[in-house]
Amino acid sequence: MALKNDDRLASVDVIQQNFESRNYIANKQIATAVFLAYHLEKPVLIEGPPGVGKTELAKTTAELLDLECIRLQCYEGLDESKAIYEWKYGKQLLYTQVLKETLDEVLQGAKGLSQSIEKLHEFGDIFFSNEFLEPRPLLKALRSNEGCVLLIDEVDKSDHEFESLLLEMLSDFQVSIPEIGTVKAHTDRKPLVFLTSNNTREISDALKRRCLHLYIPFPDADLEKQIIHARVPEIAENLRSQLVNFVQELREMDLKKVPAISETIDWARTLILLHSETLDQDLVNQTLNVILKFQEDIESVEPEIATLTNKALKNA
Amino acid sequence: MDQTLVEFVKTLRTAEIKVSPAETLDAMACLDRVGYDDREFLKNSLALVLSKTPEEKEAFDTCFENFFNFDHFEDSDFLRHDDDENAGEGDGDSNFEASGNSGEASSGGGQGASGATPEDLPELKLQPESELGRMLMSGDRNRLTVALVEAGREVGVTDIVVFTQKGLYTRKIMDAMGGKALGEEITELQGHGGIQQKMLSGALKKHRDRLRDRIRDYVEKQFFLHADESGKQLREELLKKVKLSNIEKRNFKDVQEVVIKMAKKLISIHSKRRKTFKRGQLDIRKTLRKNMQYDGMFFDIKWKAQKVDRPKVMAICDVSGSVSNYSRFLLMFLFSLAEILPKIRSFAFSSDLGEVTDLFEHSTLEDAMAKTMRDFGNGSTDYGQMLADFKSHCMKDVNNKTTIIILGDARNNYGDPKNEVLREIYDKCQRVIWLNPEPKMSWSVGDSEMKKYAAACHQVEVCNSLVHLERVVGNLLRNVS
Repeated sequence: MALKNDDRLASVDVIQQNFESRNYIANKQIATAVFLAYHLEKPVLIEGPPGVGKTELAKTTAELLDLECIRLQCYEGLDESKAIYEWKYGKQLLYTQVLKETLDEVLQGAKGLSQSIEKLHEFGDIFFSNEFLEPRPLLKALRSNEGCVLLIDEVDKSDHEFESLLLEMLSDFQVSIPEIGTVKAHTDRKPLVFLTSNNTREISDALKRRCLHLYIPFPDADLEKQIIHARVPEIAENLRSQLVNFVQELREMDLKKVPAISETIDWARTLILLHSETLDQDLVNQTLNVILKFQEDIESVEPEIATLTNKALKNA
Repeated sequence: MDQTLVEFVKTLRTAEIKVSPAETLDAMACLDRVGYDDREFLKNSLALVLSKTPEEKEAFDTCFENFFNFDHFEDSDFLRHDDDENAGEGDGDSNFEASGNSGEASSGGGQGASGATPEDLPELKLQPESELGRMLMSGDRNRLTVALVEAGREVGVTDIVVFTQKGLYTRKIMDAMGGKALGEEITELQGHGGIQQKMLSGALKKHRDRLRDRIRDYVEKQFFLHADESGKQLREELLKKVKLSNIEKRNFKDVQEVVIKMAKKLISIHSKRRKTFKRGQLDIRKTLRKNMQYDGMFFDIKWKAQKVDRPKVMAICDVSGSVSNYSRFLLMFLFSLAEILPKIRSFAFSSDLGEVTDLFEHSTLEDAMAKTMRDFGNGSTDYGQMLADFKSHCMKDVNNKTTIIILGDARNNYGDPKNEVLREIYDKCQRVIWLNPEPKMSWSVGDSEMKKYAAACHQVEVCNSLVHLERVVGNLLRNVS
């Protein structure tokens, strides 16, 4: 493969640095995944709890390589007509109406039904040619001239059938369109594919087998501080470590949905808007709904706020 | 080199990480790119290619650490001898590839050479004849490591299955390394009588003993790497077949694991089935109506979606003393199956029937079991009473989609069996399945009423092991979904 700017993926360290300069803090595993994805030409399946930066990784890679990021959001009922291609039915209909008039000219001189049909056959399948093809994300990614980053988001939300549909794309970087033939990616500029999954259901072994598998867990306190620093640079250092400590404590609790990194970032931004210097009980009480998204979670945390805040302050 | 990777993959498989041949190939491509130089890099890369769930990643971690860890000849005192020859050092990386089994291992310090020479002993001038002896005396750790691993490979140490084979494999490896020739040489030297010969034989003996220790160590590691998990698989297989009543208390935890695994398997099979039904048949009426706007051309085709009826299962368990062991497992199994059978209701009885559905939903498995046993267990069995209770409480919920599973030995202490009540239930529901832990032979013996009840059941099965249970529940799901 020879995508442009691929010197930015030269080694794991280089990738880490480049990501950091684009405000994405990648650990060794993540950087290794990107490195291997490019050099082995394999898709990466990223799993992990929501909000740890799975989608962001794909976007940042696209930005890093200065390539287009084509995104396919998966949902239940997604099928090939939405993911790969569709025929432009309207255009086909319109053309048939228009061409009705010229039919006579075409069939001029033909005697009998069989001759007419023979003449018609000479036209070939014009209605099923590239002009009438509406490319969808997967096809777009394969046809892209300078390569691209293809993000297949939340693949676990799609059906089993769709997963099987992806297999051809993921192993050979090609899709088959019955009426036209097989569309293949340029051998030197295959798309860099990222799939993300929230693990709402098991992804099939066939799909997993074709991918590198990266699991991104919740970050530890140090890494989270770095991430907050990169994303919300204007926050003061002591407030940063206080709120990271607080969130880390929350993750230990038994909650319906524990706060992810994206929530920590939101919280940091909120605190800046409120011009707060340090964490205290009232402040936490008022802004708890930024990090906890369920009323029952908020209710179960509320009585603990005092202890949690004290702990966070002490450890900071 | 490839051999190393293949062996590593084999290790992973015994640790229940599923690695397909295609993934092995991927790993090789990955190795070409990554190389053995940077251990962490290698580990991260292989983890990406070979382990595909968080659990597998954890197992992978331990496997990697165990497998690419090689310290057999590193102990400082081993092979320290009176020779000046400093052969112990080797290039770590090249050795790594050659020995085919180590990580950053035996690059070890330059420890191999020269311990203090005891002053009062004359210098040892004789060289041993046998190859192994020479190797030992030269103190070349790398060569010894290679020889050890090769010998291990030769005798197939990775096939070790049980603990007691350790001695056997240790001896086999010793033999493969040329231990026999060494032994003969030692005996011969001792018989010779000269001071030099005596010294040499002493030194050789000492080295041989140490080598044996090392080999035993090595075998032990291989055992943990290869046999521990396969031993577990063996145990699980056995547990599935053994009669439920014979399973001992200490194995309950294993059984629970097996049960959950089985349930998961069934769930994954049957939840997939549900999806394939989704499109169903062409719905002509709907399609016609929808396509009026396209001038009667069929662009938008509508399908008749088939609705899948989930089985409504009611499970009734006899928890009286005689069969409590069995019901325990059925309850356990049903507990785990709740995910695909959302409408399951569980009952327990000795004489009076009680519903335990709520209990199952709101407490952990152990709690639920214990409470059920406490509340309903250990009375004397009365099937007649149970059926009467069922009729009065639950008959209104029974319809032609209900499947009723009864687990019990049908031993009614010569009481009134009330099989006409079961007949009524039989007429009203979809299926009655009776699972009897006793073998067919004893169904008509003593106070067993099985023959009478069997007439009012759709299906009667002997069920006394997990394999039976899996089959019955699997069939149940297939029939109703």
